[in-house]
Amino acid sequence: MTDDGGGGGGGAWGRAPARLSELLGLVEAALVDERDRSAFLEETTRRLGASLHHGRTVRALLEMVIPKLADASVVVLPVSGRRTQWHRAGPGDARSAGEVAVEALERIPKVADALYGLQPRLAVIRPQEMAALDDVLPDELVHGEEALVVQLAAGGVPAGVLIMLRGPDRASFEDADIELAHQFAVRAGLALATAALYSQQAHTIAVLQASMAPEPLPVADGLRLGAAYRPAAEALRISGDFYHVAPCPAGGVRFFFGDVSGKGAEAAVLAGHVRQSMRTLAMVKRGPDPLGDLQLLNDLVISAGHRFTTLVTGSARPCDDGSVKVEIASGGHLPPLALRGDGRVEEIVCEGMLVGAVPDPSFGCTEFRLEPGELMLLYSDGLTEAHGGMSGREIYGDERLVDSLAGCVGMQAASVAERLELLTTEWLAGRPHDDISILTLQAPPRRGSAPHRQSEGPGGSARTGEAGSP
Amino acid sequence: MNATGITDAVRADFDACLAGADEGGALELAVGLVTGGVSAEDVLLGLVAPAQVRVGERWESGEWTVAQEHAATHVSRLTVDAVASAAPVGGGSPRHVLVACSDGEWHVLPSHILAEVLRLRGFQVRSLGGSVSPHELLSDVHQSGPDVVALSCTLTFNLPLAHRQIETCRCAGVPVMAGGPGFGPEGTWAYALGADLYAADARDAAEALLHRWPPVLCGESSVRAGAVEEYAVLVRRRPELLADLAYVLRDVFPGLRERSDIPDGSGGSDIPGGSGGSGGSGGSGGSGGSNSSSSSSREHEEGTDFLGRLLDSLAAAVFVDDARVFTGQLAFAAAYFSARSVEPRCLLAMTDALADRLRGSPRTLDTLSAGRRCLTAQEADSRRPE
Repeated sequence: MTDDGGGGGGGAWGRAPARLSELLGLVEAALVDERDRSAFLEETTRRLGASLHHGRTVRALLEMVIPKLADASVVVLPVSGRRTQWHRAGPGDARSAGEVAVEALERIPKVADALYGLQPRLAVIRPQEMAALDDVLPDELVHGEEALVVQLAAGGVPAGVLIMLRGPDRASFEDADIELAHQFAVRAGLALATAALYSQQAHTIAVLQASMAPEPLPVADGLRLGAAYRPAAEALRISGDFYHVAPCPAGGVRFFFGDVSGKGAEAAVLAGHVRQSMRTLAMVKRGPDPLGDLQLLNDLVISAGHRFTTLVTGSARPCDDGSVKVEIASGGHLPPLALRGDGRVEEIVCEGMLVGAVPDPSFGCTEFRLEPGELMLLYSDGLTEAHGGMSGREIYGDERLVDSLAGCVGMQAASVAERLELLTTEWLAGRPHDDISILTLQAPPRRGSAPHRQSEGPGGSARTGEAGSP
Repeated sequence: MNATGITDAVRADFDACLAGADEGGALELAVGLVTGGVSAEDVLLGLVAPAQVRVGERWESGEWTVAQEHAATHVSRLTVDAVASAAPVGGGSPRHVLVACSDGEWHVLPSHILAEVLRLRGFQVRSLGGSVSPHELLSDVHQSGPDVVALSCTLTFNLPLAHRQIETCRCAGVPVMAGGPGFGPEGTWAYALGADLYAADARDAAEALLHRWPPVLCGESSVRAGAVEEYAVLVRRRPELLADLAYVLRDVFPGLRERSDIPDGSGGSDIPGGSGGSGGSGGSGGSGGSNSSSSSSREHEEGTDFLGRLLDSLAAAVFVDDARVFTGQLAFAAAYFSARSVEPRCLLAMTDALADRLRGSPRTLDTLSAGRRCLTAQEADSRRPE
């Protein structure tokens, strides 16, 4: 588009300057102009480079060209069907978005070409050509001046088209503007293509995450439930820990809780298999058979590859006297802890081998009772093996966990889970950790009974982490 | 005081529900107000929030144990959910707010109330809950693309971590609205850390956002390189300073007398809170057989933890260049000790010991002297004849 090679000031160089000071003034003005442009481009890089969210990137680049290059701007996104999306900013604070038929766009070859990545140079479209874009362009500016069309792309990957419009009061696009718009488009195209790719991947991951994350706990009469879930890869929220609680038709709940060896996506995939298999088993079986379930699971995990898992499965049923009867079967998981009404913490012994480690393992099962207010805790080893403390190298350990749990008499299942999560997180103080999961199940306290005992032991009341008004 | 229908009697009833961890009663009362015509926002901000402040005070004064405080807080949280779902939600405009607690912050309720108030006002809210790491925050900002991040901070020693989060958001092009007492009077430290907006409570937050939408990036961090360097020294030397302090102060500071390496024999507990608070309902002495052998090491750990918090406050004060961050925490510690019949003089011994070990750090020394002045003034006050 540049045909006079004049650069910066356009026609200004044509006249012979009368005096030296005038010449210096021109040089100065050109310099200021140039500085202005590079500041604009730098700002472009900074603002667009930071955003990976596609929608935000579109909005940012639309807004950035106003008023520097245009009074209004439109981005049309790449075609994925018969209609495609557009976003508009300006004039002024106006913002809008919508869809346009691809057919309409194709009536303006310059726009269509740019959309398919075949319009490497900037193009000008005249007002009479814009009729096909009536819905997309702002009414106020359609019958005014020429519009500038720029393709946005990262190499061979088209990312959209940017259309810039100016109002009737403003000079039309000059060569210098076109050059600046070109440089802007190179940066914007790269940012937009990256954001589009990221958004697609993020969406895929979010869908997978949602399918792998534990489902919300059910509400069950005569029982209180709580849980906490802190996967190791916090930014991705997926883990090899898994748990599930489902109400039984006859009252009470069925639950399972386990920890696949390793962490990250690979462990999460096996955790997903196990979770799904357990749910299928619950559907096809007539009565509860936790030991049989563990045997079947063992075959499944062995056939899935070289990983293994721990698993506790069981059921909890409220009884007429307000207590809860719990039955569990265990495959190599840490023994559950029971918090008794007097603050004692008991280990529920239930021996069993890892699931998926050997072809014919033995599993154990046991049953116990929770009196009103008492609670069972299931946890993964990420909790007790959290490294931290004063030195940063000490593990949180069983003793600390037992003490912390003992200080929770009088608390509801959900707040016990949160409290244990809080204490471990503080212990970690930001250090990396393994997957941490907690599941609590409680017999509700008797109404009217004193809900709190003044349990002033260790872990009781000196937590400065709770300082200040909440 | 009942223009909103929330009378003192209602407040007292709600407090009683929290004290008894009576979720049924609390929900019935609060939802009853909403169905009776009180706005959900008024119930959240005029009933639940102030009641929760009193919960904190009752823990601070030694009247309640941590377990009681947590049980009550849980009831407050369930109340917030119930009240919010009992009220009609405002019209859905495409205004996205991401609500998060600062890293290390576990006071989730204020951010929970904020999220619900914004939702009631028609914002689309995504809530990340307690103690959000910068990674998690960045990942969510890129995935969900909010128009603004609302960051809640209750405890001042989390300010340096909050700074990291603010920088993370701003770098991704998303403005930050800060809120909560952790950001200081009128949000002084929010602006110092580069937040774009500050709101004292959920209603202010909603109004500020509605007043000017979308929020724009306009904040600028005034954190100085020199301050960050001295902060880094304190962070790096934390384990060593803490071990050192625990030793030097073993005879004056609560909880430190018995080291974990000495087998437990005597039962003398001088841990903060361990000797029974003012309004406690009678200590039952120890929380079960399973932990008596380790109790003295746990007490030692908790005493050290308490010192650690003070050290973190000192570091945060140096970071934001305002001694009030440190003196505020000292004042809290003094009140906390007094409520548990512990002589707060041990805090003076601590500031002196620290000053002795941090001679090379001028900003830190200034902060410590400010702390010392504040403690001496308080002591003089308390000795004045009544």
